[in-house]
Amino acid sequence: MVRGIVTAMKKTNPSFLNGVPELLVLRLLSRREMYGYQIVEEIRTQTGETLSFGEGCIYPYLHYLEAEKQVSSQRREVEGRNRNYYKLTARGRKRLEELTTEWKRVTTGVSLLMEEQHA
Amino acid sequence: MPRTDFTEQLRRRLVELGCPIVQVRRLVQEVADHHEDLKQAALSEGLSETDAESRANVQLGDPLVLAEHLMAALRRSSWWGRHFLIGFCLLPLLAVPVLWTLFLMLGLSLEFALGFGWDWKKLHVATDNPVAFHHLVLALHGADYVAIALVTLLFCWLARRSGVSLKWMVIACAICSLYASFVYARIWPHNFEVGITWTPQWIEAAIPLLIAGAIYAFRRRTTQCFQEKVAV
Repeated sequence: MVRGIVTAMKKTNPSFLNGVPELLVLRLLSRREMYGYQIVEEIRTQTGETLSFGEGCIYPYLHYLEAEKQVSSQRREVEGRNRNYYKLTARGRKRLEELTTEWKRVTTGVSLLMEEQHA
Repeated sequence: MPRTDFTEQLRRRLVELGCPIVQVRRLVQEVADHHEDLKQAALSEGLSETDAESRANVQLGDPLVLAEHLMAALRRSSWWGRHFLIGFCLLPLLAVPVLWTLFLMLGLSLEFALGFGWDWKKLHVATDNPVAFHHLVLALHGADYVAIALVTLLFCWLARRSGVSLKWMVIACAICSLYASFVYARIWPHNFEVGITWTPQWIEAAIPLLIAGAIYAFRRRTTQCFQEKVAV
């Protein structure tokens, strides 16, 4: 779904929409460490199933963020299962702040326009 | 599609696309873990083993498409992967002579240190002796071959690491070969020169092409091994 939205609106505002999956992942990881499956589930449930990643599509994003040093990963055994846990780095926290500010700026602008149209 | 087929297809496609082996292992492991989580979730909802397996496969999507996405992310994550045209076509045109000179000088310095203990007098004496001078010529050729091989391997390593298509690596190797055929390093008694010659130096030119050929053959062999493994 996120990818669909991104593709559909890429032509008009790439710098904004390219950051949406990144924003969601960083936001979730700012709360606690998670592994890929957990992140996908959290996005699905916390957005009321409005947004959802393709199950496998989370890994390209996570690896990209890791290469950018915005998240770090560690393989750990929890409850008998080995998993790669991802956590936010200082650079990731800074990036999250930037994306959040940008997101609020854009949504405020869009809301103003929508309210004006309804009035 | 059983899980093993799914992960094998993913693994094979990643190898075909030139993904570094370390990355392949990690990606496949993570996707296999995810598959297991999806399956467990389906089982907890009361689905049978077969149905849970099928649903997990559907949810994860096509392994070949997933491999393409993973490789795209790998390319996007490095400067070399994002700017492959600059990195493997334009940059080698500027960087190869500089890097070749640098590696050559490092090689010669090493030989000078090991052979003469940084003593210029000993070097001058050696150049007057025909046998010792012949050894110096051989040492210079060796340093020249090693320098061009190192420059080529550097670009091959960058191509491999950034996950770009094999053709970009081959282009960089071809540029290295072109330079190697026209730049030279020669030694005369009490004199040393580096320059450009219009007489092609076939041995130097062949080194980057041999490296490219060897890497190409290795990658083809690795891919075939995976294909045979999946077929079995």
